[in-house]
Amino acid sequence: MQKNLPEKKNYARIITESAVLIALGTVLSLIQVYKMPQGGAVTLGSMVPLLILAARRGPKVGCAAGAIFGIIQCVIDPMVYHPVQFILDYPLAFALLGLSGFVTGSVAKVGLGSVIGMAGRFASHLISGVVFFGQYAPKGQNVWLYSFLYQLSYLGMDMLIAIVAMVILWKPLETYVFKRKLSH
Amino acid sequence: MIKDITVGQFFPGQSLVHRLDPRTKIILTFIFIVVLFIVRNFSGYIFVAAFIIIPALISKVPIKYLVRGLRPLLLILIFTVVVNAVFTPGETVLYSIGSITVTKEGLRQAGYMGLRLIFLVLGTSLLTLTTSPIALTDGIEHLLSPLKALKFPAHELAMMMTIALRFIPTLLEETDKIMKAQMARGADFGSGGLLKRARGLVPLLVPLFISAFRRADELAMAMEARCYRGGVNRTRLKVLKFERTDIYAVIFMLVIILGVVWDSYLRVRL
Repeated sequence: MQKNLPEKKNYARIITESAVLIALGTVLSLIQVYKMPQGGAVTLGSMVPLLILAARRGPKVGCAAGAIFGIIQCVIDPMVYHPVQFILDYPLAFALLGLSGFVTGSVAKVGLGSVIGMAGRFASHLISGVVFFGQYAPKGQNVWLYSFLYQLSYLGMDMLIAIVAMVILWKPLETYVFKRKLSH
Repeated sequence: MIKDITVGQFFPGQSLVHRLDPRTKIILTFIFIVVLFIVRNFSGYIFVAAFIIIPALISKVPIKYLVRGLRPLLLILIFTVVVNAVFTPGETVLYSIGSITVTKEGLRQAGYMGLRLIFLVLGTSLLTLTTSPIALTDGIEHLLSPLKALKFPAHELAMMMTIALRFIPTLLEETDKIMKAQMARGADFGSGGLLKRARGLVPLLVPLFISAFRRADELAMAMEARCYRGGVNRTRLKVLKFERTDIYAVIFMLVIILGVVWDSYLRVRL
């Protein structure tokens, strides 16, 4: 591990950046500005830090950080109904958010990337919902539709805000976050 | 807006349950979840309840805190119970309006599923109530470290989690400060349509990101200055050690498992 030092130039930096942005996302997720009647909540764009990290450091770092973010979400507010649901709703859902890092580099690309990340997260929650409803609802119900509507009511608004926020934030943060070397 | 937020549920204490090795607690919680799914009938839940109640009493965590974890469950619980009660086919009809019939089997199924949900949430809450997030991270790192052989970055992920947990309170305070400063300038975070809300985030997120990246940069510099090179040969301030109480906890778990298995599969049905 210690042999290839030059490769590890950004080693500590990637860890600290991921950590600080995970913390920032967690903080934003704690501030719920608007509670929906069904129990969902709109946060202050808690997914934006993870999207920014994925856009800056690529999908691999984005996915790893997403998984950690998910586990912290679970530690803060555990909701486990089923072992598979735990994996799908926490580490995996947020790890898939990191897929947004595959497309990055301009406003349009970042917007598209965010949509991909959101789709990943949504798919994970959707399947988790199917597992949940499959376990707890009797046979013969349309579990996919239940799950889809439930997740949409829960996440739809927050996801849309995050995507739009990413597109808007690209301009002010582009030079600072994505290109310029950070040193003061 | 921010004052009444506590990070995590951890309820500090010195009880036997608090002092258990985090690895033991994580593994036992996972086994507990699996055991819940092999319970076949109501009497099996007596053993499951014992597994929650006895540690909860030893840990001296107020019942109020434990029950609070159930609050977000309420909606899902009602849904599960109602759907099961109404849609489970059965023979003994208790009540019916139009096409909706509630049967004895339906009610039994509803209670069975509802109890399982409640125990699942209580079990995981008990883990996070008695284990600090840092201890949990340590435990997870240890449990995942065998995967390092497969190039799984267990140490790096645990390091990320530790630093993130350390910075949550700091960033919370900073977010509060920036929010207040921007609100004093007339910023509005909580109202309006989609576009207005997304736009409203800009005056909050831009300063937050810039300061977050600066923090990360300084921290990385400090770590590099101390020659941080990852998990190899690193020593720890607190070394995790299995103690006698961990053995007792495992024995306790085994008794519960045997009880559940006996009840669900071996006992002669009366």
